[in-house]
Amino acid sequence: MPSADRADVLLECVDLHYRYLGRFPALDGVSLTVHRGEKVALLGANGCGKSTLLKLLDGLLFADLGTYRAFGELITEDSLEDEQASRGFRSRVGFVFQNADAQVFSPTVREEIAFGPLNMGLATSEVEQRVDDTLRMLGIEELADRAPYQLSGGEKKRVAIASVLVMNPELLLFDEPTAALDPRTQQWLIELIVELNRAGKTIVLATHDLDTLHLLADRCVVFTEEHRLAAEGAPGDLLADRDLLLAANLVHVHSHIHDRDLHSHPHDAGHHDAPSPANETEAAATDVR
Amino acid sequence: MTAGLDEPQRVAPAWLLSNEVGLCPCGCIGKRKKGSFVSKTLAGASGMLRQAMFSEDAAAEPGLLQRVDPRVKLVSLLGLLVVTAFLRSVPALVTMYGVTLLLAVASLLPLGFFVKRVWLFIPLFTGIVVLPATLNVITPGPIVVPLGTWFGHELGVTSTGLHAAAIIVVRVATSISLVVLLTLTTPWNRLLAALRSLFVPKIFVLVLGMAYRYVFQLLGSVTDMYMARRSRTVDPGVDLASGRKFVAASAGALFGKTHALSEEVYMAMVSRGYDGNARTLRPPRLRAFDAVWVVIAIAGAMVAVGVDRAFG
Repeated sequence: MPSADRADVLLECVDLHYRYLGRFPALDGVSLTVHRGEKVALLGANGCGKSTLLKLLDGLLFADLGTYRAFGELITEDSLEDEQASRGFRSRVGFVFQNADAQVFSPTVREEIAFGPLNMGLATSEVEQRVDDTLRMLGIEELADRAPYQLSGGEKKRVAIASVLVMNPELLLFDEPTAALDPRTQQWLIELIVELNRAGKTIVLATHDLDTLHLLADRCVVFTEEHRLAAEGAPGDLLADRDLLLAANLVHVHSHIHDRDLHSHPHDAGHHDAPSPANETEAAATDVR
Repeated sequence: MTAGLDEPQRVAPAWLLSNEVGLCPCGCIGKRKKGSFVSKTLAGASGMLRQAMFSEDAAAEPGLLQRVDPRVKLVSLLGLLVVTAFLRSVPALVTMYGVTLLLAVASLLPLGFFVKRVWLFIPLFTGIVVLPATLNVITPGPIVVPLGTWFGHELGVTSTGLHAAAIIVVRVATSISLVVLLTLTTPWNRLLAALRSLFVPKIFVLVLGMAYRYVFQLLGSVTDMYMARRSRTVDPGVDLASGRKFVAASAGALFGKTHALSEEVYMAMVSRGYDGNARTLRPPRLRAFDAVWVVIAIAGAMVAVGVDRAFG
């Protein structure tokens, strides 16, 4: 790797292995490098190890085997026990969990958003200023004094994102960011991720939503169902590789991709053949877009 | 060959492709049965959510106590609680109870609801405890309501017993009223913040806050589980054994869910720099209105003490 490239490396995982409870494999020899300012999507079916990798990248889990470096430093359970190292790492990496309910744990939205900066050791006045700015930026000022049980799913997601953005991290990790969100909130979130990336934030996200991939990522990493990496490349190149997507369980045999749009067509139980170019054209013609 | 292409063909069984014979094709002519204890318990649980919503609404009203800083309110109402505990005459306690009613009105709380909330439990808990104390075998004195004889002894309710019972009942009612005033006029989060600034350990308050927050989450899970069961229950009859089984199974499932959720919550906390020390926002500054309230509270207490001296 050229030295200029090397200086640009933000995260570097080499041959990571992880098993839950020492028995159930989640990662089996995963290597990944993320450069500063990139938008990287981790693609794969349910249970392939995307979320586990994100938790490893956030220093919440630690690999059984392999090494992980972030910002040039080796990240281990031991290294994060150092108070200063831990505080530095936590303030530079933000993680938006898939389950917003797990992330929004404080009695009010305001306290939730203040949790991170207070733990970073910022002065209370600065924390208050940041909380107000973040509430305003995400358009959730009216939620400030609400309790989490009074929020809708989309509002909880916004609060979860606010609670991470308020720490101004360099690297943002998103686990299934667009899952279970209504179209308007989905679009809002996609635009926010793109905007944050333009502002210089590095984005790593796990998804199996191929429809929005061209917006959310400029590089994709595909996981197999055996918890290994199968391929890596630009969204357009990977989406064109139908065999790869089928093998990774990212598309169904009856799914078709026309340009950037993914479609699934209903079918009779008796017809499970892989589509030929001829019937794909026919399917496209009858497709309701 | 790819995994997708290897997918086995699914063929629906014949029974799934034909319509099921309706169990009740001719309208509501079946025997009606009441719901099980499980549905009643869950209805009560969802009542808790309604109650919480009502409390939040009441706390948002622009009333007297809602405008007082929660720390000042907590300390002052605790002070009134202590004064109530030391009052020895019924008129003084009734005066204090009157003060709580005035405060409820000034705080724009629905008076009927406020009174009901306090008095609904008093006969149930205090009444049962106090009832024997009114009898001459426990509290000797002149009998005002004779109840007959018991092993050759005269049995009846004494005036001293009634007086002692009245003191306890009014004292409990006044104390509960003060606590209800505090909880109904203070949002839960501000009450927690008040506890924090009054030297209650931060970690204790943090755990308390999280417990309250996730009660609603788990309540939702239980309701979902029950709904899922109910939607597949053909015979709505009261079956205690299956109800018990459901409660046990739900408790087990909920325990597992809670464990998974608690791990995820902890990760979310660590991810944002939590290191075991609870840190919180600065409490708001006290205002002149808080001083006015303190004067009102002291005046109320002094009136009650004055009445106590006069009648004590």
